[in-house]
Amino acid sequence: MGIDIGAATSKGVLVENGKVVAHRLVPSRSDYRVAAEKVRLRLLATVGLSQEDIRCTVATGRGAATVAFADRRIPDIVCCGRGTKTIFPSVCTVIDVGDQSSQVIRIDREGKVVNFVHAEKCAAGSGRFLQVIANVLRINLDDIGPLSLKSNNPVTFTTGCAVFGETEVVSRVAEGDTVEDILAGVHKALAQKVCTLVERLGKEGDYAIVGGGGLDVGLVKAIEKELAVRILVPSQPQIVAALGAAIIAAEEC
Amino acid sequence: MYFAGVDIGSTMTKVVIIDESVRICGSVVGPTGAEHRRLAYKVMEKALQESALSFERICYVVATGYGRLNVPFADKQVTELTCHAKGVSTLFPGVRTAIDIGGQDVKGMKIINGELVDFVMNDKCAAGTGRFLEVLADALGVRVEDLGSISLKSSRKADISSICTIFAQQEAVSYLSQGTPLEDIVAGVHDAIASRVVGMVRKLKVEPDVVLTGGVAKNIGVVRAIEEKLGCKVLVPDNPLLSGAFGAAMLGRKIVLEALAKGEPIPRSERRLKEATFFS
Repeated sequence: MGIDIGAATSKGVLVENGKVVAHRLVPSRSDYRVAAEKVRLRLLATVGLSQEDIRCTVATGRGAATVAFADRRIPDIVCCGRGTKTIFPSVCTVIDVGDQSSQVIRIDREGKVVNFVHAEKCAAGSGRFLQVIANVLRINLDDIGPLSLKSNNPVTFTTGCAVFGETEVVSRVAEGDTVEDILAGVHKALAQKVCTLVERLGKEGDYAIVGGGGLDVGLVKAIEKELAVRILVPSQPQIVAALGAAIIAAEEC
Repeated sequence: MYFAGVDIGSTMTKVVIIDESVRICGSVVGPTGAEHRRLAYKVMEKALQESALSFERICYVVATGYGRLNVPFADKQVTELTCHAKGVSTLFPGVRTAIDIGGQDVKGMKIINGELVDFVMNDKCAAGTGRFLEVLADALGVRVEDLGSISLKSSRKADISSICTIFAQQEAVSYLSQGTPLEDIVAGVHDAIASRVVGMVRKLKVEPDVVLTGGVAKNIGVVRAIEEKLGCKVLVPDNPLLSGAFGAAMLGRKIVLEALAKGEPIPRSERRLKEATFFS
């Protein structure tokens, strides 16, 4: 079992004989302990197993320490690298855009972490920026990607701060910019911050995006445009670290 | 002779009118709002009313602040750094370090013998600016002007570890839900903004006297938190919002007095006291 307690969402994956047999996502809310327990119970219920059937559990993510039932705790960069390698064997660079942080991880042929850069000080460099802007525009987070793709003329933001960005969005709306162009501008701004991280590691393909940011097609396209590369997107980008944790659990325990 | 300084900040517009003996005849603070192009003249009219003067009697008008180009009735535009340094060093001749925390920016100024010699500035990030306090006050459900007195009741400040305003807001809300006393959270918020400001200003090698201006200087909790971090007393003028406009008026006075001393004409622009239009 792999459990990934993130800032916004807690994820769990069950692996049997190298195959995913169940995965579950629940909101983390204010108590990671409760979220972890919820993920565990839901995973077990999905496949009709009990705790005794689980050979080993690895916890990861910012709330890993609160997962009382875990056998081991492993840093999320390791799990992200491992999970990504399982899905896309050719990937060298993993871009992880989460709710409160972004990181770029360089992995080798076995999926081991060679190097990484991490940014968590600023909301404008994480998925939270998208949430803040979606809120102020009263748009569902799931809709911003497709809307952004319709833009022909992304606005350029004068600020790199999520709080000032929120104000700027309001005045852009008042000035008559379309929601599509504003969202494309937000994606571009976030993509530029992510690219700075990639450039600090040095560009090296193939690329994959994981974390909640991978669900946003507008963001993925914007990063592809900034880096001038193609980025592989797993069908379930949010559970990649939990998958990596489950695979490590299967191998090492 | 009378001189006016107009300081159009991101959040507040300030006007100060002084006479040649540096007596303040009138001062007005009003919100800048979205239409600051039009509002400058209204705040000016109010200040004239307060001083019982007509606009013709104002010898020289200096505009400053980020909206300074939207003051068609000004004779000269001067950057806010120069005006703040002038204003603060007139009020506190011993000042070596001036910190101005505005609604959307924060500036640190090194001043030697009344001259600005170095500065640091942040207008890129809401952390460390008045906006940080506004966002946090809103999240905590208190008025921003009450933060100072609330925080003084705290005996154990909460630790706000995030620099980012958005993340700090989330931390503060989660403290609330855990039942942490409001005053302890507010004290933590003040500590966080003070850390950010002092971290930036330290680049200037802080020396006393230290003066704090801008709207945030009205918050006693922030003043105390900055004092604690710097390890020295922080001086605050009676009306900390006015130092930029006051400095602007002082610079106008200097220009006029120097011209008169040399027997030269006063270098005035052709000005009109009316609304700025989009094209003016």
